[in-house]
Amino acid sequence: MRFVVRRLSMFLFTLWAAMTLNFFIPRFMPGNPVQALQARIRVKESPAALASILSSFGYKPNAGLVPQYLTYLKDMLTGQWGASIGLSLGEPVRDIILQAAPWTLGLIGLTTVVAFALGNVAGIVAGWRRGGTLDSWLPSTLVVTANLPYYWVGMLLILLFATTLNWLPPDFNYDPTILPGFSPGFIGSVLQHAVLPAFTLLVTSIGGWILTMRNNMITTVAEDYVRMARAKGLADRKIMFGYAARNAMLPNISGFAMSLGFVLSGSVLVEYVFNYPGLGYQLLNAVDNNDYPLMQVLFMLYTVAVLVALLAADFFMVWLDPRAREKG
Amino acid sequence: MRRTKILAAGAAIGLAAAVAGCSSTKHTGASGGSNASGNAVPALSANLKAGGTVTIANETGATWNCQFNPLTTNQQEANGYLYESLLYVNPLQSTAAPTPMLATGYSWNSTDTQLTFDIRPGVKWSDGTAFSAQDVAYTFNLVKQYSSLDTFALWTAPAGGGAGLTGVTASGDKVTMTFSANASVFFYDVANMMPIVPEHIWSKVGNPTNYTDTKPVGTGPFVVSSCSADNIKYTANKTYWMPNEPHVQTIDYPAYLSNDPANNDLASGKANWGGQYIPSVNSFYVSKSTNNHIWSPPVANVSLIPNTAQGPTANLGVRQAIAYALDRAQIASIGEQGEEPAANQTGVVTPTFNAFLNSSALSSSGYASQNLTKAAAALKTAGYSPSHPLSLTVKTVTGYTDWDADLQVIKQELAGIGIDVTVLDEADNTFTSDLQNGNFQVIMYGPPAGPTPYYELHLMLDSANDQAIGTAAQGDYGRYKNSAVDAAFGQYAAATSASAQQAALEQVETYMINDVPLIPVVESVDWYQYSTADLEGWPSAADAYAQPSPWTYPDVEQVLLRLYSKSAQ
Repeated sequence: MRFVVRRLSMFLFTLWAAMTLNFFIPRFMPGNPVQALQARIRVKESPAALASILSSFGYKPNAGLVPQYLTYLKDMLTGQWGASIGLSLGEPVRDIILQAAPWTLGLIGLTTVVAFALGNVAGIVAGWRRGGTLDSWLPSTLVVTANLPYYWVGMLLILLFATTLNWLPPDFNYDPTILPGFSPGFIGSVLQHAVLPAFTLLVTSIGGWILTMRNNMITTVAEDYVRMARAKGLADRKIMFGYAARNAMLPNISGFAMSLGFVLSGSVLVEYVFNYPGLGYQLLNAVDNNDYPLMQVLFMLYTVAVLVALLAADFFMVWLDPRAREKG
Repeated sequence: MRRTKILAAGAAIGLAAAVAGCSSTKHTGASGGSNASGNAVPALSANLKAGGTVTIANETGATWNCQFNPLTTNQQEANGYLYESLLYVNPLQSTAAPTPMLATGYSWNSTDTQLTFDIRPGVKWSDGTAFSAQDVAYTFNLVKQYSSLDTFALWTAPAGGGAGLTGVTASGDKVTMTFSANASVFFYDVANMMPIVPEHIWSKVGNPTNYTDTKPVGTGPFVVSSCSADNIKYTANKTYWMPNEPHVQTIDYPAYLSNDPANNDLASGKANWGGQYIPSVNSFYVSKSTNNHIWSPPVANVSLIPNTAQGPTANLGVRQAIAYALDRAQIASIGEQGEEPAANQTGVVTPTFNAFLNSSALSSSGYASQNLTKAAAALKTAGYSPSHPLSLTVKTVTGYTDWDADLQVIKQELAGIGIDVTVLDEADNTFTSDLQNGNFQVIMYGPPAGPTPYYELHLMLDSANDQAIGTAAQGDYGRYKNSAVDAAFGQYAAATSASAQQAALEQVETYMINDVPLIPVVESVDWYQYSTADLEGWPSAADAYAQPSPWTYPDVEQVLLRLYSKSAQ
């Protein structure tokens, strides 16, 4: 119980600190929404007139920082997220996020799960058959791919599969000339458009899982209880998954929880390279245009997602591993 | 629900190729039609059958918000498609008569302080309601009432840099506008840039500043058929006033978040109208199909703006040295890969504004080509030399890769005479803030274009725009102060004849040469790529009837009215 209270209060404190930084840091960035608007629409309207356009959507250039901060905290907690004052001027932030979030969750969330599953299975097999065929080439290849910058992999894949071979579309989340709906064409188009970005993320993220899993497996296989299981004459498959992998996977689980937390923040660069209109792309736009309302909600969501994932990982570890409970 | 194109994911592989078309159609060049004038309906290609789709691939940087308020920040997707202005003024042919649109004609009084428009009869809004002169007067008075909508400062007094509009009234088929001073230089904004909105709708929407206009009603040739964050689909307005127009029935305008995907879709033929920089455009785009064409008319300058109020560039010798030392042709061919032409020291964009160029002043100035001897001499008068070099920081904006390349060439050229250039790439916001606040030694910048050189030079040089360093200025970023130049701008604005305007501009050109308040490097162009696989009627060098980029409004309407599908004929 003491553990739960301590973790929860730590969680709340971190959340408050992150949200406070989230309020102040964007406002200390050079430039302001009026200048961004001016640069964007390039007209000779006075800054006062532009400020008044922005004010009609809730921008308060003249309010003091402290009252603004208090309103901000209240608005964040109550979900009064306001309207964008950047590129999507006047569009409610809630709508922007509801529109972008499914694409990011779908693409990046699913890819993370698939990468974790595939990576672990491959790592288990490679670690179990240490020095085998798989183990001799897989880890060394993955050390390379895991360290490739994913935007670069993305551009390479576009060059190969979209520009040169013309097999797959290089941009958008679906063919924009199709009206969304549950039609086979739309769903096919969504899947087709997800192939390249998903593969990019898979190639660059799977390596990490495989390498950790393989190394953990090698350590675990040498443990006494595995030898014991062998001595008992259990089937290889049972020892591999039920004895060795089960224990070897523990460190990867907390890593997995964390990476799920990071799903929401998307992969800004992957979304940018593939013209994929998800949350990461919205964040880039918001920062470019000093769109405070959108920016602060996005950062808050990312923070909450990561913190919740960490908290869940903590609780999960304690549940899995009694030793952690003792120390906690 | 629209029938989807793709039945099996695999079948889609051929999609792009199918759209690209394999027909070896020859490029017929300019289509018929010239700029009409007077009271006639513009003489566009008659007897053409309807059909065809325009797909625009133009980086918009954001997903669509499906709002179409033409008076705030949705101009790009509303003006020209859905809403129209009174006349169309072609910035590429500044001496040609305006094309009549919602107005059939106009007249000024002798002092250019009163402007009367004849409003076209028989026009209907897309909801069927009749359009009238009342709507025009309503629109202008609406932006008076809500000053934040007055994008062109029409109702601001001349002393504040505005047009000095004092009243707009409608009577019968006429709309009369009165100004407190000669307002001829604001004709472009009044007649060409102001979209007219329907009174019967806008009078009921409350504050028009945050009116989202998701169900737009306009007089334009297209209506919104569907809109999502990814794509706007426009279809032809069946009640459009111009007979037999538009020929093209559908426009797809997908939201491209960055250049690369838009460029890929242009190259593959998925899209047929582009408007952004394509690196190595010949191998990447033009060579992919005989139907792919480009044309990029220059419209403004990209200049190095020296800070004339403080630092080393306040010294005329330093500015002259830079201007002499630049080999602009080399910058254009290396930095811009020849896709933007070299600029010249008069600040007049050629060939677009050739009529205003004082070419004898340019050739006698010594700035017509690189002159390292004069550059070294000028630098010496300022107290610098290769043994006592000058260090300069040039600021530019991140992401404009062609400007970065230009600056690398500039850096080498200036190193030759003993100026050590450091290039500083700044994020958008920082860049704008530094530009406006005068926080730079030299900064690279390309201002928006206008229908004559006056608009750019006035913005960049008139000290009425001036502010102290550290305070944001809305022009004259280099803090250049010269009352003679200010007076020349005044003469241009008050001129009632073309020759008087010409004389005033030539004075400004002389000061550009003598004082070097700006150092034009290359000319910024309207990026424009088009495919003639199915569509004809595109603007081209031979028939420059409008600014050709899909993001130039209201020019986009002129292009849309002339396009027609070859397969539909």
